[in-house]
Amino acid sequence: MATLEVEGLCKSYRTPNGQDMPVLKDVSFTAADGEFVAIVGPSGCGKTTFLRVLDGLAGADGGSIALDGRPIAGPGPDRGFVFQSDSLLPWRTVADNIGFGLELQRRDRATARRMVSDLVRLVGLEGFERYYPHQLSGGMRQRVNLARALAIDPGVLLMDEPFAALDAQTRELMQAELLRIWAEAHKTVVFITHQIDEAVYLADRVVVFSARPSVVKATITVDIPRPRPLSAKRQPAMLSRVDEIWRLIEEEVRR
Amino acid sequence: MKKASVLSLIGGVILWELVARFIVKSTLIIVPPSHVVRAFVDLVRQGELQTHVYVSGLEFVVGFGLAAVVGVLLGLAIGVSDLVRDVLEPWLSALYATPVVAFAPLFVVWMGIGPSSKVAVAFLLAVLPIIINTSAGIRTTDQNLVDVARSFSATRGQVFFKILIPYALAFIIAGLRLGVGRAIIGVVVAEFFGTRAGLGYLILTSSQLFDTSALFVAVVILAGVGVLSVVALQKLERWLAPWREFAIRT
Repeated sequence: MATLEVEGLCKSYRTPNGQDMPVLKDVSFTAADGEFVAIVGPSGCGKTTFLRVLDGLAGADGGSIALDGRPIAGPGPDRGFVFQSDSLLPWRTVADNIGFGLELQRRDRATARRMVSDLVRLVGLEGFERYYPHQLSGGMRQRVNLARALAIDPGVLLMDEPFAALDAQTRELMQAELLRIWAEAHKTVVFITHQIDEAVYLADRVVVFSARPSVVKATITVDIPRPRPLSAKRQPAMLSRVDEIWRLIEEEVRR
Repeated sequence: MKKASVLSLIGGVILWELVARFIVKSTLIIVPPSHVVRAFVDLVRQGELQTHVYVSGLEFVVGFGLAAVVGVLLGLAIGVSDLVRDVLEPWLSALYATPVVAFAPLFVVWMGIGPSSKVAVAFLLAVLPIIINTSAGIRTTDQNLVDVARSFSATRGQVFFKILIPYALAFIIAGLRLGVGRAIIGVVVAEFFGTRAGLGYLILTSSQLFDTSALFVAVVILAGVGVLSVVALQKLERWLAPWREFAIRT
């Protein structure tokens, strides 16, 4: 079980000249257990800040976050974060990067090794366990990044534009891979992206943020049946959702 | 070593021999390598060279060893603590801008003509780049990597040992490499200002006796020690940080 409830979240940054710049203004949203929620919004609207607050890497100024009814403050093993830049530790092999969270939790080695090898198989990196990050392609590095977050078996996966740096073809393949892994791993996912078609293809619901300071402008349900092959992206139902969301964001950008 | 590098070295020695024999022709200004080899054999036979190498070597090892330990520890402290940085920074900047070798005669006055004054000068010269590189390595650690650890609820100790130290390792080794050269300079220059033995002493006395061959023996040995130490530290880096094959070389 992992239901994420966010109520009235707000956060400002202190600018260098001492003023408070509000980034999030009263954000409320809910992600049901096992649901895939994507967040889109105009550039600089505070999506990443929102995700960092959810993970506990940054504090909120007000509002509440609860996971299965328990309030959360600070990072915890119930949430896993997939970073935008893959942020792999360059001195660790694929296997040691995936096992990093387990090592920090001081799990015993035999258990950790078994869990790591299961994850290597889940993300399709068999045979690359002993490679270092600089020997991998961008797509493979993001697979490691994902496996590392999954290793501590969190209820919620927080993903910050994980495919933004990949080339178009690799990105499409990784989107399909993510849906396969999500179906196997049964996680609640909060996924941030710039790309509206990516959001619509992946998510059960797409949350649209307003321009800064952010509120939730709209929530669009994507009722396209699963499993969704990559060709589903070109279905009229999908395209009309993309259109609808783009119009909402356009209003914000042009404001 | 690469084939081209070996050939380059051999070529340089041959050129040196030819220039010394046929162009300069004055053994006061420059001696050919063949004379240096003869002087080397003579000095070894008299047992004199062994004493000089032993004395200077001991001073170098102790001075550099202390600088490595103190430099890394202070660098780490400056890297993680703003308070320690603010307290030490003005002193370090002042020392870094000062030609520390200028203190060498002073140390000989303070600590006598025994090895301790040479150890002190070598230490002082070598410790600065080690401190500065180590603290820079800690301070420039990729914040994203620290966030990864924090996201897994890492303790401060875990962030230090599993993120900051491995990240700074290459910087630390680069600092040690700079320190090696400066420790050698420290030993030799301090020996110029008063000692009973050592390679600096050999350089000083043989120059006063116009024995250029013996002078070159000492210089070649010092250069060899410097090169070997740098190669050893490169090996160490490759062993400790194999992932950094593509990294910046200082």
